[in-house]
Amino acid sequence: MSENKIVELAKEQALVLDCGKSLKSIKTAYTTYGKLNAAKDNAILICHALTGDQYVASNHPITKKEGWWSYIVGPEKPIDTNKFFVVCPNVIGGCMGSTGPKEVNSETGKEYGTDFPVITIADMVRAQKLLIDYLGIEKIFCVTGGSMGGMLVLEWLSKFPEMVHSAIPIATATNHSAQNIALNELARQSIMADPNWNSGNYYNSDNKPLKGLSVARMAAHISYLSKDALHSKFGRNLQDKNSLDYSFDADFQIESYLRHQGFTFVDRFDANSYLYITRAMDYFDVSSSNNGSLIESFKNTSSKVLCISFTSDWLYPTSENKKIVKVFNTLGINVSFIEIETDGGHDSFLLEEPKLFEAMQGFIKSTYENL
Amino acid sequence: MSLINEKKDFKIIADLIPAKSSVIDVGCNDGSLLEFLKEEKNIDGRGMEIDQQKVQLCLSKGISVIEGDADLDLYDYPDNLFDYSILTYTLQATKSPKNVLSELVRISSKAIISFPNFGHWKIASSLLLKRKMPISEKLSYSWHETPNLHFCTINDFIDLCDEVGIRIEKQANLKTNKLNKFNGKNLLNSYFNEVGLFLVSKIKN
Repeated sequence: MSENKIVELAKEQALVLDCGKSLKSIKTAYTTYGKLNAAKDNAILICHALTGDQYVASNHPITKKEGWWSYIVGPEKPIDTNKFFVVCPNVIGGCMGSTGPKEVNSETGKEYGTDFPVITIADMVRAQKLLIDYLGIEKIFCVTGGSMGGMLVLEWLSKFPEMVHSAIPIATATNHSAQNIALNELARQSIMADPNWNSGNYYNSDNKPLKGLSVARMAAHISYLSKDALHSKFGRNLQDKNSLDYSFDADFQIESYLRHQGFTFVDRFDANSYLYITRAMDYFDVSSSNNGSLIESFKNTSSKVLCISFTSDWLYPTSENKKIVKVFNTLGINVSFIEIETDGGHDSFLLEEPKLFEAMQGFIKSTYENL
Repeated sequence: MSLINEKKDFKIIADLIPAKSSVIDVGCNDGSLLEFLKEEKNIDGRGMEIDQQKVQLCLSKGISVIEGDADLDLYDYPDNLFDYSILTYTLQATKSPKNVLSELVRISSKAIISFPNFGHWKIASSLLLKRKMPISEKLSYSWHETPNLHFCTINDFIDLCDEVGIRIEKQANLKTNKLNKFNGKNLLNSYFNEVGLFLVSKIKN
């Protein structure tokens, strides 16, 4: 088990962000597992998704649940913490201790709220690089993550190719599709439509925009599941009742499930962080600093890469992941690709999926042996 | 297909490939040919394989492999990316052997292609004398469960190469383990070779 650590970086020299503003004294909350060896060649950086955090393999301090990737990270697991030194930072803009809208701006003495600069995936990676430098790691053995975590992986491969020996981007894309932007906009509008949001100033109020955030989570959660999984898990089954109520209570199990997802989410997540991070995902286009050329964006990449997609993922479908593979192929990069058959939808990368574990373990083990 | 693990074929294929070449093995199975070529010729190898269990095996051996279908996924590679492409015992199982052949010589300077020869005298005589679909060491499936869609003879292959604009440079004789300069179509060739194994390249306009 790793304890949460917080380090303050960019104390002297501020980090210049894509939006033109800069951030100084950036706090990064992170966890580590295992030990960095003397050669410093066994570090694995794990990048979390939109609502993930640094508690990748240890119990969450708020929900008390197991880490979000405890299937994958741990002793003898696909990412074996007996062998590897695992680092998992909370992204900037997040709400689990890293610099973000709910943290106090040292210049004003007040929470940032919507004064926090709009950040990008590249900014998150720049902040992660500060942490990796601080930890004394010159070359990361493997960078991995799913969904937004996969975007961070791609950004690492593009921006700091010489620092990445291998990478596993999972269920991700080189940019956000119109459909994905639309879904995020729905979530943001639901937060901002909550009167308690109050233009982002709610940290010192008793009334927080919990309803808006909860609806945002409900909408997003649907996009993480597949139609087949919803059907087999819930069908049209009723919740603790034998007949319809002819009301707007949760008659169906799926309604009750989604409400539960929404309610529990607000305990651990900040509404403003949700706005900022979804915005960063929408703005994401790994080729944007190269006039839209993916080839240019990865031309210095020489890492070994494994791309993974899931058949029932309609949010980051196989076609989007294959686009990455095609670019890497064109550049002669050592890329592998596997599409895992499952009805688990986009969420599959977080589920107990033996074929995912096998692929990751096989790739990581053989890549480290051939280091 | 079990045939692929024949070390004899591996050796002949290795003889066709100069050291340090970049190679894609399409239908690479468990990656053993790529491993062999890495050892013998220090190639920079890539695989493509349709069967996920075999993809997993390749990953565990450190082979870069794409889960993909020769009929669909070769289009994703740029022209002349590889020095060599290899297609062993797979041509007859593709939906469009013609397109696959064209793609192979597009993405690589040279292609090595092997397939069971339906014109071999044993095969032909099974059909001729027993009126039964042939089953042999090289064609090990019953007609109703075979994954093979497009059987051809060595002479058919030579004709197809002509049609697609492909030059046959060498042919291997797997009995004598020798590589021969290709001398054109003849009946004996199709009669006595159980396997056709050819080194081909695209005829440049």
